[in-house]
Amino acid sequence: MLMLMFASAVYANSYEAPLPAELSTDPDLCAYVPCGDVIAGADSFSERKGKPTYVEAYRSKKGDHGKIDDHESNGDSQEGGNHHGDKNDDRELIGYVFLSTDIVDIPAYSGKPVVTLIGMDTKGIITGAKVLRHSEPILLLGIPEGELTKFIKQYVGKFVGDKIEIGKPREGQSYIGLDAITGATVTVVAQNQVMMRCGVQIARQVGILKPTIRPQAKFTELAKSPTWDDLVTEGGVQRLLVKREDVGLEATGTPYLDLWFGYLNQPTLGRAILGKSNYESLMTRLKPDEHAIFIIRTGGGESFKGSGFVRGGIYDRIQVAQEMDTFTFRDLDYLNLYGIEAAGAPAFNESAIFIIRSKSFSAAYPWKLVFLANKMDKSTGHRTFTSFDAESWLPDAYLQGGRPVVIVPEPTWLRIWKDKAWGIVAFTALLLLIGTVYAKRDWLVRRCTRKNKYWVDGFKYFGWIASIGFVGFAMMAQPSITQVLTWFHALLFHWEWELFLTDPFIFIFWWFIIITVFIWGRGLFCGWLCPFGSLSELLYKMGGWVGLKRFQFLLPERIHHQLKWLKYAIFYGLLAVSFFSMGLAEKLAEVEPFKTTFLVGIFNRAWPYTLFVAILLGLSIFTERPFCKYLCPLGAALAIPTTFRWFGLKRKPACTTCSACAKGCGSLAINPKGEIDQRECMLCLDCMVMYYDEHACPPLSQERKRRERAGLPLTPVGADGHYIPIMPLPAEEKR
Amino acid sequence: MSADNNNPKNDSPLDLDRRKFLNTAAVAGVAGTLLTVGGLAGCKKEGTSTTGGVAASATAGSSHEVAPGELDSYYGFWSGGHMGDVRVLGLPSGREIHRIPVFNPDALVGWGITNESKAIMGTNSDGSLKYHVADTHHVHGSYKDGTYDGKYAWVNDKINCRIARMRLDVMDCDKITEIPNIQGFHGIFPDKRDPVDQAINYTTRVFCGSEFHAPLPNDGHDMDDLTKYRALFTCVDAETMDVRWQVLIDGNCDLVATSYDGKLAATNQYNTEGGVKYVDMMNAEKDACLFFNIARIEQAVKDGKFKTYGKSKVPVVDGTLESNKDPKTALVASVPVPKNPHGVNASPEGKYFICAGKLSPTGTIIDLSLVLKWFDGELKSIDEAIVAEVELGLGPLHTAFDGRGNAFTTLFLDSQVVKWNLENAIKFYKGDKNAKYVVDRIDVQYQPGHLNASMSETKDADGKWLAVGCKFSKDRFLPAGPLHPENEQLIDISGEKMVMVSEHPVRPEPHDFIIVKRDIIKPRQVYNLDEFPNAVKDPAECGVFRQGNKVTVKITSMAPAFYLSDFKVKVGDEVTIILTNLDKVEDLTHGFAIEKYNINFIVNPQETKSVTFKADKPGMYWCYCSHFCHALHLEMRSRMLVEA
Repeated sequence: MLMLMFASAVYANSYEAPLPAELSTDPDLCAYVPCGDVIAGADSFSERKGKPTYVEAYRSKKGDHGKIDDHESNGDSQEGGNHHGDKNDDRELIGYVFLSTDIVDIPAYSGKPVVTLIGMDTKGIITGAKVLRHSEPILLLGIPEGELTKFIKQYVGKFVGDKIEIGKPREGQSYIGLDAITGATVTVVAQNQVMMRCGVQIARQVGILKPTIRPQAKFTELAKSPTWDDLVTEGGVQRLLVKREDVGLEATGTPYLDLWFGYLNQPTLGRAILGKSNYESLMTRLKPDEHAIFIIRTGGGESFKGSGFVRGGIYDRIQVAQEMDTFTFRDLDYLNLYGIEAAGAPAFNESAIFIIRSKSFSAAYPWKLVFLANKMDKSTGHRTFTSFDAESWLPDAYLQGGRPVVIVPEPTWLRIWKDKAWGIVAFTALLLLIGTVYAKRDWLVRRCTRKNKYWVDGFKYFGWIASIGFVGFAMMAQPSITQVLTWFHALLFHWEWELFLTDPFIFIFWWFIIITVFIWGRGLFCGWLCPFGSLSELLYKMGGWVGLKRFQFLLPERIHHQLKWLKYAIFYGLLAVSFFSMGLAEKLAEVEPFKTTFLVGIFNRAWPYTLFVAILLGLSIFTERPFCKYLCPLGAALAIPTTFRWFGLKRKPACTTCSACAKGCGSLAINPKGEIDQRECMLCLDCMVMYYDEHACPPLSQERKRRERAGLPLTPVGADGHYIPIMPLPAEEKR
Repeated sequence: MSADNNNPKNDSPLDLDRRKFLNTAAVAGVAGTLLTVGGLAGCKKEGTSTTGGVAASATAGSSHEVAPGELDSYYGFWSGGHMGDVRVLGLPSGREIHRIPVFNPDALVGWGITNESKAIMGTNSDGSLKYHVADTHHVHGSYKDGTYDGKYAWVNDKINCRIARMRLDVMDCDKITEIPNIQGFHGIFPDKRDPVDQAINYTTRVFCGSEFHAPLPNDGHDMDDLTKYRALFTCVDAETMDVRWQVLIDGNCDLVATSYDGKLAATNQYNTEGGVKYVDMMNAEKDACLFFNIARIEQAVKDGKFKTYGKSKVPVVDGTLESNKDPKTALVASVPVPKNPHGVNASPEGKYFICAGKLSPTGTIIDLSLVLKWFDGELKSIDEAIVAEVELGLGPLHTAFDGRGNAFTTLFLDSQVVKWNLENAIKFYKGDKNAKYVVDRIDVQYQPGHLNASMSETKDADGKWLAVGCKFSKDRFLPAGPLHPENEQLIDISGEKMVMVSEHPVRPEPHDFIIVKRDIIKPRQVYNLDEFPNAVKDPAECGVFRQGNKVTVKITSMAPAFYLSDFKVKVGDEVTIILTNLDKVEDLTHGFAIEKYNINFIVNPQETKSVTFKADKPGMYWCYCSHFCHALHLEMRSRMLVEA
């Protein structure tokens, strides 16, 4: 009962919800989680069975039968419970319940899995799913957790054998589309994989889904007799190495498990490994569609056989996988491996020959040896399921006609890129345009004057409007400090390129940001392309245009120069907090108004968030970019590497005494000595317009006046911001 | 050592019993042993030792130890003597892995209790077992291409003249045949290929020698007329286990050997005299090794040149020397071998049979190609087939081979094994007195009978291990009362010198054994449900089925339950319980024991067995699982309710 109460607590808030340590190991899964919630009508459940594990859900046929405890400590019977069945006759099997982390190890956005309880009926239809625990920052405050619940509900009633993908199918695509959670693409793509893979694996295991039949390999017999080293080089044997640290143990320099394995039916390989007579004897034991593999352990103290097969007859640590098909081994599929014939074979201290008995397996195609393990969390001592695998594929030479062409299913991220191709092209074009415009700034600013800056502002305003409307509201590609924090965590836990590729705009944007920060500084992103920054400054400009100019102000410099450090404090604060609690850091990252503004919508959030955004945007009308200047942790994070930018803005010697442009600098980035603080600079280029403006830049203006007075010609202004001397040497002497 | 020591003839009182004779012989042997010890003492001073003591050699030989988790590299099949069983050992560790009950009842598996085992063992008309005792001596495996194929093994029963076959895939006895017309069935050997059809390069016959001659037919007549006492050599079909034919011979049969080409089988004869008391059996200076020309015998049977005796329908051809004087038509050839030979063994290169002299200190090498020549009429005298007759030591019995040209012969009286080189022995016999044929000697503890080396009796003899079955252990183990175990010793023969590596006590009393490479034997992990015609394949088939007072109860087992969980019968019923173990998990064996009804047997995974008994006591009787199976093993029960 306590457990059930606990479970309902989980439901209330599953973010980083503590799960009982026994959840992943105890045979009685349903004592810890509300199995009945995901399969209606079930009133009793078996213990965990199978590999990967699931429980059977029963409904009693008679009314008030109550819960039947099916405590077979021998959780093995493949036949589906006690066949003698005195007590089981009065209940019927209505489906299966399984825990996602028992089956797959797919990290979501946070680098940690979304622990999901899934129910499926006897026909393979999903009857329910429940998130027990997740670590997804985006789902924390920005997007209500209910969105994930809503998303998962979409699976109910769907057949696990169907192809289910995120997004609406386009013409010619045959899959069932699910509505994604806006702004949490990565999470739902990962969750879709979890749901489908778990469903398929269990459906295969209980016989709902028929295994794929693969064309069998035709082998080439080679005259040669490869040595062990040959086999390793050409890939006839493969290695599966599991380090102690991979399973949460102290690294000692010795592996947790060091396995070598290979396929034995291929005659050249089989003879090389087993020797001629043993190979032939083994083949006489195999029927058609039976395949032998061998495994030896050359290092590590852990047994790959374990002891589960003694009780239940099933080897619970070793599997073979081919695409979505999994092959497990029973005790009767095991034979002793008495030795390796191939010269130079390493010494081993555990060995096996396993027989795969299935038409589904084919040595013509790649397959994986999977080692199933428990990973221990050092801090809590909790164990969670994890798996390690290594691929094996017979080399071309061993197969008649070489390896067949394998059509690898299109990865999700690639499909998303294709789906959003036009948006990606437009977005990339926008980024390239702004980049090019900025690269050509010298040419542009020369065409401007302090009063007439359309050559620059035209592009800038276009960039702002595009980033607010297209990037921000339409594509929701507003970069956020949470991404920076997530990367820190992904680097620490589980970095998967695929996950980051699933959000193409953010992915492209970040490459653009990283590159431009190191070339020109963060200003190009912050000043030209950040959706919120653009909105903020556009509001300020509009305020001016509509006649509010007299109310517009800048903070006194003294206060500004103190306040500007606040954003750095916020960034470091968040980073520091994230090391202790990512969750808290993610909550604190709400200091960014981005989610409210773009991802969720100002009016879709609780009033404090709306008020916060309203204040920030309201202030923006009267003072330029208050959020960017004082609060934005992302700006701070980008300002730090900006210190190392390659190209800064131009200055002339007279700038040290003249502070004309400092007065016009909306970012307050130019100090009294005329130096530009590139970390604060938004690259608005106002000072650069001035630099070449012979009427506005005081030193240049003075020179113009002097020249006019002296009747000297007004030569073009050079790169140094001065008129180009006609006769450099004499003129120099004169001066 | 002196050859004089071996001959007890001069001082053998007529009425000495066998034990006393052995004592006398042993006393005679002591002199030889003392000589050996003296020689060794001299050696020890120079820092070298040839003793086979375990302590001395523990570091020298290959390790016989098999660490936890490791597997032995050979199977050993050991006869169990008058235990009537066959034991399966792992070598080199010497660990006993399994016992195959064969002729005698076995309470563990229910051999002799279940209907299936009784049908194999043979019953009287009332269903009781025909025999309860047996004496297994020689275990031999089936051959293919001159080496073991791991399919069958056979073992003899000397007491009741039966031959049993064991299926090596399940390690069960599956057939037993009683051989007619004989007593003292001792030697046994499968053939290695067909003498005529070269395509049959595997075992199809098993040859059996009868050691004791008896009146023929043995119907109460002529019991005092020793001339009517006869011994016969028997051929049994390897597949059907029917007796194919017998050969009436002079003298007796002891051990049997077969040639690699399938043409010859031989038996050594220690009682060509036809004596009935031991003194009468030792008169002749020469006994014989009798060779059988298989093709000719089978042609004679085909041609109808046979008799039958008594109730037996088995064709018996005449193999007496009197009737086989012309080599060109002879069915048998008798090669004279000194004094009461014991053991005839075929060398792995296929050329020779070795006979050991027992009462003569010699080993005799017979060249098979010359025996065949004799049968072709190309040899003046059969004596010429002997290519060597060399002195080995006192009481030579049995010979094993290392596949490198060396033979190992047990010296019963010397308590030694002698390693000798065949080609050098042949040279020595031919007159090259510099040819040193004895390579090494090692003391064994004590008085060895059979010995065998790894794969020794195949063309793949690998010369790694030599097991020696010592008939006396005396002081080698903790004393456990007057009955002593046998001492099975293991010698590393991979080097020039033999090195004793271990010894094990075994329950009396194994005689002979074979040592087979582990990869040849391919045992099944569980039984095949379909192999049992009476299998209860589905719990739905369970129930109590009555026909008059004959009641059949069908039960299945699956851990941790029997189904039916109870069953009712009536007093006076003849109850047959059929139990199928539906568990598929390897090693998940169940037992079925019925309280107060004297019944217990086991069913292995997917195996079916049945028992029939009279329900003669009313009441409730627990039937419980007697073989540990599960955490709920104790709870695994059924109730037999016998209604008054």
